Amino acid sequence: MTDAKTDYAAADDVGEGERQALEALLFRLADDEYVVAERYIEWQIYAPSLESDLALANIAQDEFGHARLWYDLLQEFGRSEEEVLWERDSADFRHSTLVELPFEDGDWADVVVRSYLYDTAERLRLEALANSSYAPIRDRVGKVLSEERYHREHAGNWLERLARKGEHGDETSHRKLEAATERLLPHALSLFEAGPHEADIVEYGFRTRTLEDLREEWLDIVVSFMEGLDLAVPDPDEVERPEEIGRDGSHTDDWFDLYDDFTHTYRELDFEEPIKLRAQGPKEKGAAK
Amino acid sequence: MIWEVFRQEEPGDYHKHCGNVHAPDRDMAKMFAQIQHGRRMKTHSLWVVPQDEVGEVDDQDTAFGGTTDKAYRWATTYNRVDASFAKEVADSEAEQRAAEKKREASSQ
Amino acid sequence: MDLDTVMAEAAPRRFSPKDDMPEEYRKAATRMIQFHANSEVMGGYLEKPFIRQAPSLDRKLAFSAKVQDEIGHAQLLYRAAESLGVKSRDQMLDELAEGEGKFLNCFHYPMDSWYEVPMIAFFVDGAAMRRQATLKRASWEPYAHAMDKVCFEEGFHVKHGEDILRELMTSSKANQERTQEAFDEWWPRILQFFGPTNDKSTHHDFSAKVGLKTMTNDELRQAFLNAYIPKAEKYGLEIPDDPGLIYHEDEDRYEVVEEDLDWDQFFTVTKNASEGSERQILSRADRQEAVDWVREAMDGWERMGSTTTPQAAD
Repeated sequence: MTDAKTDYAAADDVGEGERQALEALLFRLADDEYVVAERYIEWQIYAPSLESDLALANIAQDEFGHARLWYDLLQEFGRSEEEVLWERDSADFRHSTLVELPFEDGDWADVVVRSYLYDTAERLRLEALANSSYAPIRDRVGKVLSEERYHREHAGNWLERLARKGEHGDETSHRKLEAATERLLPHALSLFEAGPHEADIVEYGFRTRTLEDLREEWLDIVVSFMEGLDLAVPDPDEVERPEEIGRDGSHTDDWFDLYDDFTHTYRELDFEEPIKLRAQGPKEKGAAK
Repeated sequence: MIWEVFRQEEPGDYHKHCGNVHAPDRDMAKMFAQIQHGRRMKTHSLWVVPQDEVGEVDDQDTAFGGTTDKAYRWATTYNRVDASFAKEVADSEAEQRAAEKKREASSQ
Repeated sequence: MDLDTVMAEAAPRRFSPKDDMPEEYRKAATRMIQFHANSEVMGGYLEKPFIRQAPSLDRKLAFSAKVQDEIGHAQLLYRAAESLGVKSRDQMLDELAEGEGKFLNCFHYPMDSWYEVPMIAFFVDGAAMRRQATLKRASWEPYAHAMDKVCFEEGFHVKHGEDILRELMTSSKANQERTQEAFDEWWPRILQFFGPTNDKSTHHDFSAKVGLKTMTNDELRQAFLNAYIPKAEKYGLEIPDDPGLIYHEDEDRYEVVEEDLDWDQFFTVTKNASEGSERQILSRADRQEAVDWVREAMDGWERMGSTTTPQAAD
């Protein structure tokens, strides 16, 4: 580790090498949040109850909002929303494959396990950004973490309840959680997969902990919590890892279908620019002419 | 045990929390509440609820309405279009503006 | 309370669950509120795909928030309906899944493209809001209370819808033409939104007498047309010639040529007997069934009496 790191107050203070590392870090963050939300919204109208529908929709909006915060930072390097999201090549997305997998109809166990695994990792990652040497990241972490707490409670509460075996030895929900865990864990491990700029990200102090370190703590937390609920968790060192890693742009086919789907209308309409609906009002970019 | 008391002033109003009473059971709670909380304030109806049955979450536990920009949820954000053409839309926007102001005031 | 008393005393927010209401009132109010609640669910169902289709990140957020609100409204309304003691929420949702629950005519048609979005999000929502504002004065107090909250939120929905229309109609010529095509298709359905004019409406008389409705279908449609036709024109939409619409300038009133509207189709649709009705009802029903297991698990949990925290944790 280096000591007495440079502090970067804004995009202008960043040199070429730092910029590449920062962009790599931000794309991982933003893409994870964006894609996980793009999947969560599949549950709107279809959740098990009206109340649970409202709660998950809210979480989806939070995650889209977090993606927006990180995409906004990428735009400070002179790119537009079109470039960082809508017109980016689908193979340039850097999210973990965990978040791109489609939901099987009715598989509420998947969304519970997925968000538990994801949100736990998300907290650790954000905490490791709280003292980032890049001030614009630091400034945003608090707001994001504050919303993430509800997400973890939500996932944890569902997990605890569905893990309990029901009356008359009914194990349906318990079994479904285990099946989801078995399917998702190998993909979740890609959350911690390093990219080519990983050494620089830590070197420049943009993130204050290594991915390896985060992975270890994450495993400690999730394995002990889930095993505490009597859920079988596959041995992370033994599981067969999918070929696609996500972090290097390799993705499952489901991602490419999803990308085509969510960009379809954007391409069809061909508006001059994506509209902005922000608290500052329409004076900023994207305003009516 | 303690019972929380909710008073409705006029028929059709909301029942609003107005205080509580000590009482050993529901009937006694109703008897005590009507004197303690209904004897002077205009009252159309009272509800009594065991305090233990009230769950609470407050702004120490959570940030209601989130901490990131949710302007997209508010009519007031859509100022490229004008609500005055329909009274009910304009009324709703005015209510939202009032709610927003309260939120902003409390977050400062 | 007997029916004569109900009619004599009917007033805004006059009756609540502690009143012993006659069966006729409870059934009529349940039918009306259940219809309203079902419409929120099916409207949300129709709009849901456009969360993903939204062409900007902010628009996507708004769309998700809007669909979320519709489910929020359904939650409020099913509770208001349940409070009449006729049906439980589960029963009403099952009826919706089984094709017995009725809902608004406009939500029986498929919505395939972004050009159609403002037809629902601006015109239909605007029409709904017009009606909902009058229901704040309904005689069933829980219904009126639900309307307070619904109307509070709806201002966002209508402006969101108008902004989408504005964006389309200030974009390319091709987009404007496609939007006009969608408008031509949806306009007759929108005119039928408020239901048949008074002489054909089966439920109006009773509902009006017991204070469940405070305005006639025709009055509501007039108010809607007065506000929304100028808006459509402002954005350059042409009002289709058919069905006929005659503006009486002296009275500031639009007359709809009723014969031009296909009321047979309307009744087929609102009886859930159209192709779109079946497809949309069944598709939603499948999703509801797919998560039965979660509701069963939660019911089992509830029966075990754990109203606070699970024991397994920590």
